[in-house]
Amino acid sequence: MKSSNVGMTLLVMALVAGCGSGGSSGTGSTTTGTTSGTTGTSTGTTGTTTGTTASNVLAVTVNGSLCSGSTSGSYVNKPCVSVTICTPGTSTCQTVSDILLDTGSYGLRIFSTALTGVSLTQVASAGGGSLAECVQFGDGSALWGPVMTADVVLGGESSVQMPIQVINAGFGSPPQTCRSADASPTAAGFNGILGVGLFARDCGAGCVDAADNGMYYSCSGSSCTATAAELAKQVPNPVALLPLDNNGVIVQLPTVATNGAASAAGSLTLGIGTRSNNIPSSVTTYPADASTAEFLTTYNGTTYASFLDTGSNGLYFPATSLVSACTVSGYSAWFCPATTKSLSAVNAGYNGSPFGTIDFTIGSAVTMFNSSYMVFPALGGAMSGGFDWGLPFFLGRNVYVGIDGTGSPLGTGPYWAY
Amino acid sequence: MKHSTRGRWACFGVAVSMLVLPRLGEAALGGTAASVAADRAALAAVHRATTTRGAYTVQEFRSDSSTVREYVSASGVVFAVVWNGRAHPDLTTLLGSYSGEYRAALRQTARTRGLRRQQVQSDGVVVEKWGHMRNLQGRAYAPALIPTGVTIDEIK
Repeated sequence: MKSSNVGMTLLVMALVAGCGSGGSSGTGSTTTGTTSGTTGTSTGTTGTTTGTTASNVLAVTVNGSLCSGSTSGSYVNKPCVSVTICTPGTSTCQTVSDILLDTGSYGLRIFSTALTGVSLTQVASAGGGSLAECVQFGDGSALWGPVMTADVVLGGESSVQMPIQVINAGFGSPPQTCRSADASPTAAGFNGILGVGLFARDCGAGCVDAADNGMYYSCSGSSCTATAAELAKQVPNPVALLPLDNNGVIVQLPTVATNGAASAAGSLTLGIGTRSNNIPSSVTTYPADASTAEFLTTYNGTTYASFLDTGSNGLYFPATSLVSACTVSGYSAWFCPATTKSLSAVNAGYNGSPFGTIDFTIGSAVTMFNSSYMVFPALGGAMSGGFDWGLPFFLGRNVYVGIDGTGSPLGTGPYWAY
Repeated sequence: MKHSTRGRWACFGVAVSMLVLPRLGEAALGGTAASVAADRAALAAVHRATTTRGAYTVQEFRSDSSTVREYVSASGVVFAVVWNGRAHPDLTTLLGSYSGEYRAALRQTARTRGLRRQQVQSDGVVVEKWGHMRNLQGRAYAPALIPTGVTIDEIK
C-alpha cells in the first residue's frame, strides 16, 4: 500500500524523537530488575500529549515509535502501546512494543515469537488438559494459542499475575474456526493486542458452563477439544485486575488535520476518577448494553447498534447515497468520495438516552493511501448492519471506557463517555 | 439507495439464477426448509423462534456460541443466513453447496489489516462478517435466490 516506507519511517522517527525510552523500542529487551514496572516500561520517560509521567499513564503512538516498522508499514491508523511481561514471581521481564490498543476486545494476547525473554506456564483446563483459546475478529481473522500465566505490568502500575493468550498458530490441533489463524506478527500486523474494552473477561459467564462456547479448548498432547472455562482462568482485561485504577481507561489522542499526519502521540490513562489525573470533566456518559457493549447510532434515518473501537482503523458504516463504496479497483472496502464529505450521526445510550450529535468527515481513501501519511481522521469504509466508530473517532477526543460492573464519577459500567 | 441496491441485485439474480439452481435436499443456503433442522442439529443448536415476514419465514436457533437465523422463501428455499455471537460459526455447514465457491473466493480476497469487516463475493453467494469480541456478526445470501420484493437490507 505504501511506496515510501523508508522515507516515512525516518520521518516518523524524526517526529517522535525523544518520545521513547530505550527499553520500549524493541521486542527483545529483556530486563532483570524490579517487577514494579519502573524498569523496562515505556512510562516515566515518555513525553505524551498530556505531559504526565504518572504511573497510571501509558504512551500511545498511532504509527509512531511504539509500532514496529516491520508490521506497520502497510497498516494505517494503528494505535500501539508497549506492555511488560514477567516470568511469574520473578524479576525476569520483557517489554513488548507494537501491541495494538483495542477497545473492541478484552484481554492481552502476544505472539509466542515475541515472548523470548520470559518463561510462562500453561493454565490447566478442567479435566487435566491445558487451556487454549481461539479468538475471532470482525474481519474473519483469528488468533489461536495456549492460555498461560504471566505477571503483567501496565505503565508504572504494580505487576499483576493473570492469564494471557500466547498466540501460536502451530500449537496443538486448532478448531476449524482457527485453522487459518494468523501465524506471525507480520501476518497479523502487530506483536499482540491489549483489549481494554468494556468487559473484565474476554468471554464471561457464557463460557463458565458451556463447553461449545466457540472460544475455549482443552488440549492434551496435540488433541484439543471444546471446554468450559471458569472466570478466573479466562483471559482478563488486564485493567480490571489492577489493585487500583481498575474501573476503566481514558484514551486521549490529538487532533489530526483532515488530510492526515505521519504519526500521532497520545496516552492511555488507567482508571476513571481514581486519582487527580483522570477526573472526568465535560463529558456525556452513554450506557452500553451489558451483553454486547454496544450503544446506538442513528445515521441517515436508520438506527444501528454501534461501538467505539480503537482496533478498527476506519469509520465503518453502511454505504448510502450520502457516501457510497469506492469503485476504484482495489479500494472497494473503502469510501473515496470525489470531495471530502461532511456527515453527521446521533449517538445514544443503548436505551435511547442520552443522545448527542457527532459530526465527522469521510475523505478519499485513494488519496490517503497515495500520500506519505499514516494517520487519517477521515478514513472510512462500507460495512453492513452496524456502525463501527474506529480510530478516527478517537482523534481529538478524550474517550472514557467504563468497565462493566464498576463505578466512577461517570456512573456504573458498561459505558462509553466522551 | 434501497431501490438502486435492489435493482442491481435483481438484475444480477436473473443472470445467475440460470447457472446456479439450488438442488433440493442440500443443507443450509440454497437448501430446502427441511435442511434448517439438519443445520440446527449440526450446530448443536436449539430452536428459538419462527417469524413470518410476508414473503418469507425466519427460523432462529441458538447454540452455545452463536445465534443463527435462516431465511426461508415461500417456495421453501433458504436464501440467506445471518449469525451473531461469540464466534463466527463454521460456514462449511451453513453455506451448504455454496461452501466451495465461498472458500475459493475467500482465497482471492486480499487481507486488509486493520479493516474490521470482511466481504467475500463469488458468482453465487455474498458473505459478510463484522462486529467485535462477544458480538461477532455476519450474513450470507445468494442474490439469485432472494424473493422478488425482498431487499438485502431486510437480511439482518
